[in-house]
This record gives sequence, C-alpha cells and structure tokens, in this order.
Amino acid sequence: MSSSSSQFKQLEKLGNGTYATVYKGLNKSTGAFVALKEVKLDSEEGTPSTAIREISLMKELKHENIVRLYDVIHTENKLTLVFEYMDNDLKKYMDSQSTGNTPRGLELNLVKYFQWQLFEGLAFCHENKILHRDLKPQNLLINKKGQLKLGDFGLARAFGIPVNTFSSEVVTLWYRAPDVLMGSRTYTTSIDIWSCGCILAEMITGKALFPGTNDDEQLKLIFETMGTPSEATWPGVSTLPKYNPNFAQRLPKDLRMVLQPYCKENLDDNVLGLLNGLLQLNPDLRLSAKQALHHPWFAEYYQHFSPEQQQQQQQQQQQQQQQ
Amino acid sequence: MSPGTTTTTSRPGTSSSSSPSSSSLASFESELYLSRPYFTRRQISKLQSKTITDHRSYNSKKLTIVRYLSDLCVHLSFPRKTLETAIYYYQRYHLFHPFETELTYTLALGCLILSCKQVETITKINDIVNLSFVLRNGKPLPMTSPSSAVELENMKKRIFNLELKVLKSCSFDYRINNYIHIDEFIIKFGQKLNFHFQICHLAWIIEYDVFKLDLLLIIPQHVIALATLKLATELYGQDLEIWNKLETFTNLQVEKLSFKQAYFDILNFYINTFDLCDLKDNLPTDVPPISINEFMALKKRAGSEVGLEDITNNTSKFQQEIVDADPYLNINQNEFKMAREKRYVLSQDLIEQEVISLKK
Repeated sequence: MSSSSSQFKQLEKLGNGTYATVYKGLNKSTGAFVALKEVKLDSEEGTPSTAIREISLMKELKHENIVRLYDVIHTENKLTLVFEYMDNDLKKYMDSQSTGNTPRGLELNLVKYFQWQLFEGLAFCHENKILHRDLKPQNLLINKKGQLKLGDFGLARAFGIPVNTFSSEVVTLWYRAPDVLMGSRTYTTSIDIWSCGCILAEMITGKALFPGTNDDEQLKLIFETMGTPSEATWPGVSTLPKYNPNFAQRLPKDLRMVLQPYCKENLDDNVLGLLNGLLQLNPDLRLSAKQALHHPWFAEYYQHFSPEQQQQQQQQQQQQQQQ
Repeated sequence: MSPGTTTTTSRPGTSSSSSPSSSSLASFESELYLSRPYFTRRQISKLQSKTITDHRSYNSKKLTIVRYLSDLCVHLSFPRKTLETAIYYYQRYHLFHPFETELTYTLALGCLILSCKQVETITKINDIVNLSFVLRNGKPLPMTSPSSAVELENMKKRIFNLELKVLKSCSFDYRINNYIHIDEFIIKFGQKLNFHFQICHLAWIIEYDVFKLDLLLIIPQHVIALATLKLATELYGQDLEIWNKLETFTNLQVEKLSFKQAYFDILNFYINTFDLCDLKDNLPTDVPPISINEFMALKKRAGSEVGLEDITNNTSKFQQEIVDADPYLNINQNEFKMAREKRYVLSQDLIEQEVISLKK
C-alpha cells in the first residue's frame, strides 16, 4: 500500500483492530484521508471470517452515522479495506478529557448529540436486520465536526433467520448484556441497546459503568446497580443456562445516586429515564433504537417530525412514566 | 460506471498529490472492479470459453463435486444454504480461472470453507479437511505421522490461496449469498402462498437438482425458489391459477421473466438429462413415480419458452462485438503485470471524487 504504485499512501499506524492493523492513508488523487485496514491472512483460518462479515455487512450499510467502506484492495500479498477516515474514537476522546487519573464526563449537550447519532446509526443497522454486537466507545468513531459513526463491524451479523449463536464471541465484557452473560443464545437487537446504555452512562461520568474482569464479576456489578432479577421481574430468567439461584440479592439503585457524583451538571429526569429504558435487565423490556430516538430527552432533535411521529413519542413517554 | 457493471480502468502515470495541501507527481496503476453478480448465458459462455477447454469433463466433474460437497455438508450437519453458497462459489471461480481437474477437490473445499464463513456455519478447517480425507480415501489423515502434518498444512495453504481467488472472482461482493437462499425462500414463499408442507418438501428436493445447473450464476435465489415451488405444485397435479396472475410475482418481488427463465431451465434439465437427476430416486411417497414424459407434458402446457432477454442472444456481428469488447469478460484476475493493485469498488463515492479531482 505504501508503494508509489498504489492509489493510497500509507501513513501512520492508527491501531490494531480485531483482525487487522489500521493505518491512516492518503488518497493520492483527491488528497483525502482514508483509513486503511490491512487484513492479516491467517495461516489457520485463511481470510478471516470477521473480514468477510465486515465487508458483506458494511457494503449494505450506507448511513451518515456508519463508517463507509469504500474499497477492498488486493495487491500481490495483501488485502486492505479502505474506510472513511475519522479523526478519533470515543474512548480516546473521553480519555483526553480526563485530568490526570480523575475521569471526567463529557458535557451533557455533547453526550446527547453523540448518543442521538449512536441511535440513528444503530436504528439503521437494526432496520436492515444487522446486529453490531460489539458496541463500545473504541468502536464509535468521531470527527472534528462532532459527527459520530459506528465502526468495526467485525463481529456484526445479520439476524432474522435463526442460526446458532456463540455468546462467547460477542461484545466486550463491560458492555455485555446480562442475558448474554447468563448464556442466552436467543439475543437480538436488545444486545446492542444494553451496550448503548453502558456507553451513555460512561459518557456522562467518564468511567465505565460495569467494569467487570470476568463473567461472574460482570453480573455482580450489574446486579449491584440494577438489582438482582427474579422470575417476577424477568419471567424466564431462571431457565437461562448460567442462571444461579444463589445470586446475591440486590435491590436496584437510583441511577441518579450512582451517576450524579461524577457529573458536574444536573442530571434531569429525562436522561435518567432513557438510561433506565436502555438498561432493563429483561431484554424484552429494553427500548428499541427507534423508540430511544423518540425519547423526550431528544425532544429538541425531533421537533420537526410529523404529527404521527409526535403522537408516537407521546405514547412512548406515557409508557416510560408507567414503567 | 454504473452499479452492476464492472469497468476496468488502468491509470498509469497519473498525477497525484502527496499531501492534502501539496502535490507531486507519482506513478500508480490501479484496476477498478465493480461487482457484477449475475451474467447472461452468453456472457457465461464467453467467460468459460477462456477457462474451460473440455466442457464434458467440466460438467461431469461438477456433478461429482456437487455430490462431494453435499456429502460433506450432510456429515457436518450444515444447512442447505451452506451447500448452495459453496456451489455458487465453485461455479463463479471457473468463470475467471481455468478448470483443472486435479484442483477440483481442493477448490471445492476452499469454496465450502468460504461458504461457512459467509453464512456463519463456522467449523474448524482441520475438521472439514479431515472429513474430506475420510470421504475420499475411506480413512482420516494419520495425524501422528509428520508427513501427514506437512500434507495437511500444504493443503490448507492451497485452500486459502484458492479461497482468495474465489473472493476476487466475486469482487468481494457478498450480497448474493448474504440474506437470500433458495431453501429459506421455499419456506417463506410456501407459507405466503399457503402451500402444504409436502409441496415445500418436494421443491426442496428439486432445489438439489438446481445446483447441477448454472442457474445460480444467472437468476437470484428467491426467483429460483418460486420456480421450484411451481414445479412442485405441478408434480402434485395441482393446476393453480396463481401462476397466471401477475400479482403473485409482484407481491413476492419476483421478476416474471427471470422466473420463467428459471422454470424453463429446470424443466429442460429434467427433459435433457433426466438420468442425472436426484429427484426420481428421492420422491416423497405420495408423489407418483415420474419419468421424462411428465416434464415434457409440463413444458408443452407451459407454452412458448421465454426467459430473460439476453442482448447477447442476438447473433449479429455488432452484438458479438459488444460482448467481445466487454472488459469484465476479458479480465485476467491473476495478472498483476498490468496493474499493481486491484481495487474492488464497494462504494462509488470515492471513485467519483477521484475522477472530479483528476479533471481539475
């Protein structure tokens, strides 16, 4: 890619992806930057299935909140995916806002704008029957214009047609939904929504909401804040493969008490209501990405919507209040 | 360039900028490929004329490979879509790469492994390769022997090399095999049209014979699914009015001429090569035994044979020149002499920006 015969000039290394090394690149014709993802051709696996998934799914996804895949380039010994270039990722951006070792959340207006874009991109994925399955701040790419785009679809998959699922391969532990942690293999879009809830809380406080180091600790941390589920609050939970009747019984905490100490601005009821809708233990009760976009917290973004959409919002507000 | 067509562009010595703000002259050559998922039959002939010298041998080997892949899939409990995708890849490969008899089994394994990755029936490659040894030689590779380990590693290298060639022959475009598979649409359409389970089952058996044709390269899978369902209803003696109604096709987003092409191609297969079909030996118990006559009667009843309008069907010199001049049909996918890199264009935005920049 760095040879003079290439359309792209390879610049500095940006990082290592799940199956590839990512470089900043320069399009020699346009002078525009791109991200060049150099795929490692594995001696045990050949062309990685994650690369195949990423190419096949991203070809279908054309949305302003999803990173664009432009080309696949094959040279004599390499395979390179050419992506839209983004300046930063949300994780690095949040880290850059911290002072020393003290985490600092983002301004709530910015949190709202990022979260809105996250839901816009995710709703589009879900409408197109694609689960991202690995949403985390590192995979949310941002640029200087404040745009946020979903990236790294290496673990994404199409859904709608039942296939075997491998719960162990999905989602970094901190953002993994409790149903997946307890061995559910019937997860769907709700898996991404839980991750969105974790990301929202992390943007507010600047620190991960549930930073577990193993499955058990992850569940423990979740239950300590959100309460321990029971058959009454989550019908069917006891049938999950890794459900343990001896889980320590915890009552749900008030999220305001959990998050406010780490946030300089006052957290209003709307953002806490949205968080509660996203971080429902029972996956069936979690909001969808589309519902989340109509949540009152985002009212300022959807004022231009049609009367039908506004009516839908009101209904959702009522449902929220009933919950 | 328009979607669905492929243009090969070589750009030697084009001026370019080395940074967004400053420009310098650099030499680079790229070949651009847009995907072309389906072909007309004449285009297939044109492509195969360069890759297949002995069609009889190719066709005979293809039947063997369908059986071989099918056996592997049965042993590994793969769904039909894994088999379908592997067979698509196998046929697609031979549009751009020479048919070599000694490579066919290794290629078939490469296609199956790629298919597993595509449709997410993930299985360890060693398991597939070992099973292939069992199926072909009656015994597994003795893994305790050092020479066997070397043989396995060499085989995997060959498989991965072929896998990459298959990917390139598809221009890294997986849309064809991503969501739509014949067996799944037999069930979906069957439910939509209120067909009995037995009709869908019979269509599913017919689908297996479809793999022996080149239809997967020509017609989308959901259209083929509907054609197998029509044939299944007819073999059950049902003369349904829905096949004469345009809304049947519009409701299911099936293009009628493609459907007719698929239907007649399948009928012609049974009429011309009845002995090669698996249907006759696997008929459900409630379907009366069939012979070539049933299919001839169906064809007679179906009226004039129509299908996709193939501009290359026109034998005029001018039309032939179009086919001959089509760069996509003249690509040598292995050559890196003409261009140092091959760009499989997934989004035209970037290319359009480049074109605008170069015009400035």
